[in-house]
Amino acid sequence: METMTTPSPATAYAHSGVGSSTDSLAGTRRWAMALGVLAAVTMIAALYMVFFYAPTESTMGVVQRIFYMHVPSAWTAFMAFGIVALCSAGYLWLRDPRLDAIAVSAAELGVVFTTIVLLTGPLWGKIAWGAWWVWEPRLTLTLLLWFIYVGYFILRGAAENPERGKRFAAIMGVVGAVDIPLIHLSVQWWRSQHPKPVVLRPEGAQADPAIVQTLMVALLAFTLLFFSLMLFRYGLERLRTRAQALRVAPR
Amino acid sequence: MTTASEPREPAIASKASAHARDADAWDAPGASFVAQVWAVARKDLLLEARSRERLVSMGTFAVLVAIVFAFAVDPAVRARSIGGAMVWVTVLFAGTLGMGRSWALEREAEALTGVLLAPIDPGALFLGKWMANMAVMLAVEALIFPVFALFFNLGFQGSIPALAAVVVLATAGFIALGTLFGAIAAHTRLGDTLIPILLLPLLAPVVIFASAATQRLLVGRPAGDVLSQLKMLGAFDLVFLFLCTALFGAVMEE
Repeated sequence: METMTTPSPATAYAHSGVGSSTDSLAGTRRWAMALGVLAAVTMIAALYMVFFYAPTESTMGVVQRIFYMHVPSAWTAFMAFGIVALCSAGYLWLRDPRLDAIAVSAAELGVVFTTIVLLTGPLWGKIAWGAWWVWEPRLTLTLLLWFIYVGYFILRGAAENPERGKRFAAIMGVVGAVDIPLIHLSVQWWRSQHPKPVVLRPEGAQADPAIVQTLMVALLAFTLLFFSLMLFRYGLERLRTRAQALRVAPR
Repeated sequence: MTTASEPREPAIASKASAHARDADAWDAPGASFVAQVWAVARKDLLLEARSRERLVSMGTFAVLVAIVFAFAVDPAVRARSIGGAMVWVTVLFAGTLGMGRSWALEREAEALTGVLLAPIDPGALFLGKWMANMAVMLAVEALIFPVFALFFNLGFQGSIPALAAVVVLATAGFIALGTLFGAIAAHTRLGDTLIPILLLPLLAPVVIFASAATQRLLVGRPAGDVLSQLKMLGAFDLVFLFLCTALFGAVMEE
């Protein structure tokens, strides 16, 4: 809980936050904006490359182009959950509300990008594998990941008070992250027991440098977009906490 | 409903500062960690032995699930080929049902406040609860396996020691997470509804290795064939028993 003693919003803005008087959100917003502009420029470049620069893959055809959205989303989602795990553990250790704000921002984006992965995957899979869904290890892991972090938000929202919600969510963040390698091992083993689906792996196509370059630009665009959105979301979370503190502070 | 008999005045005083993470607040002179674990486990087991409410409700539920399987599964499917799956789905559902009750008990009549006021380490409280839940779950499993063997004509006879190892190792990890999330769910508006939602995705490794090992034993493969699954289940147990014990203090804080 933030303690607020100054009634003037201008000074309160600069001096709120636990042990962080320099924690003005103006800097956060500037960075978010700058990264957002960079993300927009790279994203336009990535889209141009996806449709006009990268060649059409010979075996899969035009549907392969969805990989330039799918792979960067997956990369971003896993990075987001790494951030959630680190910040959750940090929050349980230090109880700094800023760490919780970063964790919740990253978790929200992680769910968004995992959803993109789970939506773009079947679109490709229907053409390439002939089925919307296949119980392949990576798909299974992504699906379970999505449920773990949806659980993170259900838990956070259901707690009896917000402070509890933060702690519970942090516990879920840590337990989920520790479980991910074990789930990965188990689904790998589980699928190795069955005949493998005929997988046309994207690696096969990576010989063409144009494809690799397009993927790299798309990865950069998604990473920039992620950090821009995360900073915006972080700022929002901090403002929300301050508004809460102002509302309960004595006039 | 405090069970510790040690002097607890200083603990109450420092507990008021609401910093349960402060290890000193839990320091009970003379009470070793193991004694604390046992005190909590004994309390829960005594309650269960007298009321038998969890054993009865979980056991009845499990038998009913077996009957539902009998109705739902096509008679052309040989039960022998899906026995491992059926039995672990049942264990998981019955266990999830029982986990919430363990903490609901503490919330009634503010019993938890008493437990928290006792000078006891949060890790010991967790392990005590885990031990009691484990005992209840193993008792229910001791019913589930014979009932499935009977109803579906499954032959576990030749592999009892290996099967027992699978059951104990799978249950230990399952109950570690179940006890942690049962405690968390007890402090939410959704209550027990939350337990399966949080638990089932996390338990994927337990389900995969336990049902695969059980299935192998069921079709008569030697115990050596389930060694790798036993190792994986053991690794899961070690990771989550340690992690849940360490994280439990953060659940109990006021």
